[in-house]
Amino acid sequence: MLKWFECEEENRQNIISSKIRLARNWSEYVFPAKLSKEESLEMVKRLCEGLADLGEQDGNQYETTYLEDLSELDRRALKERRVLNASVLSRKAPMALMVSEKEDISLVFNGTDHIRIQALSTGLHLQELLKTANEVDDFINARFSYAFDEKYGYLTSFPTNVGTGMRASVMVHLPSLSLGKKFSSVLTNMGRFGVSIRGAYGEGRENYGSIFEVTNQKTMGQTEKELADLVGKVAQQLNDQENQVRALTLKNHKLEREDEVYKSYGVLKYARRLTMKEAMTYLSQLMAGITDGLIKPDNSCSIYRLMLGIQTANLQKLSDRPLGKEELDVARAAYLRRELLELG
Amino acid sequence: MLCERCKIREANIQYTEVINGVKTEHNFCAQCAKELDFGQYSAIFDGEFPLVKLLSGLLGWEEPEEKEGKHQQVVCPTCKTTYEEFIENSQFGCADCYSVFDVLIHDNIKHLQGSDCHKGKVPLEQKEQKSKENIGKQVTDSLVENVMEKDSVESELRSLTRRLKEALKSEDYETAAMCRDKMKALKEGSGADA
Repeated sequence: MLKWFECEEENRQNIISSKIRLARNWSEYVFPAKLSKEESLEMVKRLCEGLADLGEQDGNQYETTYLEDLSELDRRALKERRVLNASVLSRKAPMALMVSEKEDISLVFNGTDHIRIQALSTGLHLQELLKTANEVDDFINARFSYAFDEKYGYLTSFPTNVGTGMRASVMVHLPSLSLGKKFSSVLTNMGRFGVSIRGAYGEGRENYGSIFEVTNQKTMGQTEKELADLVGKVAQQLNDQENQVRALTLKNHKLEREDEVYKSYGVLKYARRLTMKEAMTYLSQLMAGITDGLIKPDNSCSIYRLMLGIQTANLQKLSDRPLGKEELDVARAAYLRRELLELG
Repeated sequence: MLCERCKIREANIQYTEVINGVKTEHNFCAQCAKELDFGQYSAIFDGEFPLVKLLSGLLGWEEPEEKEGKHQQVVCPTCKTTYEEFIENSQFGCADCYSVFDVLIHDNIKHLQGSDCHKGKVPLEQKEQKSKENIGKQVTDSLVENVMEKDSVESELRSLTRRLKEALKSEDYETAAMCRDKMKALKEGSGADA
């Protein structure tokens, strides 16, 4: 079955994907950091068994895996596909993952909190995702009682998640807006609206591919819907601003834009070695070109899928032996030559 | 300015070295800084930004002198998390920690979240309890009024405490005195009821 990021999205514009995450704790146990290994194992087992029939409710096929049974590489690849998060990757305790075939709905047991519910989709669909996550949440809550306080709401390990336990996030592609001199100050000022924006890919301060993730900073004091609305509005606003700037470049510098897009396509289609930075930069330019209708690959292909495909763990997985840094660049170029569609 | 080591990335770390009174300045990018050996400072550049430490700094910053005193002895009976441990990791050990440390962390949570009151979804059981209460209300009207009154008195008291704190902060003693008197009257009122 196709993964969520491989599915078609109508009029995707600059908004790549949406995500809702809920953090929950089971009232019977202390939080994960204080659980012994035996208790962790017991709790994870009880959760897995108790929720085994989740698929019967929502019609999805779920696969349950104990994370210790997965290789380090598999776990890293799951992180690249955003099913697992970084904190889970470095944790040593017994944990389990329940994930739908499309990987759009996933549950992680005994991560930072006992239960982490996540729903992902392409495009801007926070409210729909919230509904999905809520249904899964209710299903779990009917069997396991949650740690909840009337004043503080859903109780979580970290005070940064308490209240709704919800994080809504949207990935937006801002290749032109992020070039502006004022962009970094816009990012810092976003904090005032209660959202944070940070580069999704890159090392250190560098950003590869101009993809930014908008998330709610606070989790308390507003309802889930209000928080999701806020994140959605900011993402929409950024999308519109980006469109305005791009419309201007199309009007005044159409030839330069076209040249840039076709050069990017050429490099991606024919290069023999591509570093992560190069590949992400060209893919970003190609993505902008497709959105603006400057270039039309044979089939509308998801550039985001390619961006996920060229990440290190995925390339390693496709290869039958461990790859060095240079070999990775070769593998990355080969992957793109293979996967990038012909022009119509 | 470009990093003097790799000459590719922007330098964002300035490193000043003083050896035998001779001062030398270096400019590196984060990645090169990580690779270089800065002795005890290397830890700064290792891995991710130490956000947890920053957060714990914020959580504990208000009462540094008290931290070492009486609060150190506050321990959650359920998971044995000490207040010190909580400040250190910015992490609760269990659900009961919230009520055990409530007084100590209340203001910090408010700072962190901009609010100290959950709005939004409520678990099924709590919802059912509420609806049971509602049924109860219909049956015994007078009792309910009492409960409601108590509820509203409590919330009134809470808002007054908040206003009192704010007034004291801004040295508006007139308002503060008014709040205090109102609170006193309310407390006496509810006490007489009980």
